[in-house]
Amino acid sequence: MKMESRKAVLLGMVSASLLLAGCAGQIDNTRGKATVYEDASTTGRVGGVGIESQDIVAVTDEMMRDMLANRMLAGRDIPPRIIIDNEYMRNESSSVVNTNMLTDRLRIELNRASNGRMIFVGREYAAMVQKERDLKRDGAVDGGTIRETAAQAGADYRLAGRITSLDAADRSDGTQSRYSQISFEMVDMELGTIIWSGLYEMRKAGRDDVVYR
Amino acid sequence: MIRTLIAITAATTLLVAGCTSLPSDSTRLEGRTAPVEYNTVVFTDYDLSRTWTQGILGSGQTYRLSVENHGRRRTETGTTEVYAVLRNHTDFDYRIEARTQFFDEDGVPVDAKPVWQRSTIPANSVSAYKTLSTGTQSLQYRVEVRELE
Repeated sequence: MKMESRKAVLLGMVSASLLLAGCAGQIDNTRGKATVYEDASTTGRVGGVGIESQDIVAVTDEMMRDMLANRMLAGRDIPPRIIIDNEYMRNESSSVVNTNMLTDRLRIELNRASNGRMIFVGREYAAMVQKERDLKRDGAVDGGTIRETAAQAGADYRLAGRITSLDAADRSDGTQSRYSQISFEMVDMELGTIIWSGLYEMRKAGRDDVVYR
Repeated sequence: MIRTLIAITAATTLLVAGCTSLPSDSTRLEGRTAPVEYNTVVFTDYDLSRTWTQGILGSGQTYRLSVENHGRRRTETGTTEVYAVLRNHTDFDYRIEARTQFFDEDGVPVDAKPVWQRSTIPANSVSAYKTLSTGTQSLQYRVEVRELE
């Protein structure tokens, strides 16, 4: 091999080695993307066709205001006792959502805003309450400072609801569309009648590759 | 010579025509510095509606949406219902967000935290926005409207 050719081969090998060494580097020195706080009631940077924070805030806010304008719920001389929890809230939609987010926000916002016009029964905490009641009755602890009652509070009304959806996709460009419906109904716990209903619906379309967890 | 004159005239006309409307990001729009008023509906998105008084050709207004009517009434439980009828003057559907802030008679913000409600106003049509307060006291309102992002 001539000297010129040897030099060219050597140069090529050195270049290839440098290139490979560059690719195999362990340290990524690029600047990261800073985490930012976003308003939970508006569409954020990451958005898809599912139920998102702005929808949860909007639906619970609308239902809360509507319930407080209902005479049977918020206009009684003796405030009704109401259970709002996740027990009868079903997610039958294709959206991944923890329905506790809906019922918890609704109950908490209603409890704060109603200011005594409605009384909320914590049926979810019944076992916790019963444990303390048993300790009091057994004399293991004293009776507390408020009062004694024959039993825990019974409810006049209980919230039930359902999330349903209808999906569609355009196979030519990958656009997805989802119509979601969130229904709420307040059921009379003696008679079984529905004394208040609320419905929230929306349709979203997009091509964003968003994963909900 | 005549062609040059025509070109200059056309350019000047276009420039003046452009200046008759202040852009939505202008700092000279009235809405930016207007005092906060109660029992009113305002567009916080100046792309939807804007007015000015200090343009090159004086005052002016550009709008895509306008407020036809607004008001309040008491519900049967004593809470306040606020409504605003919005009109779309364009050939395109507009997706908007609206929220209402409630104040007591002294101007103190009260009631639950306002939340943006999404709605669509069809092209060349009207649509009503409604909301309810949570409290039973006498309230003043301020409705804010913007285009949905």
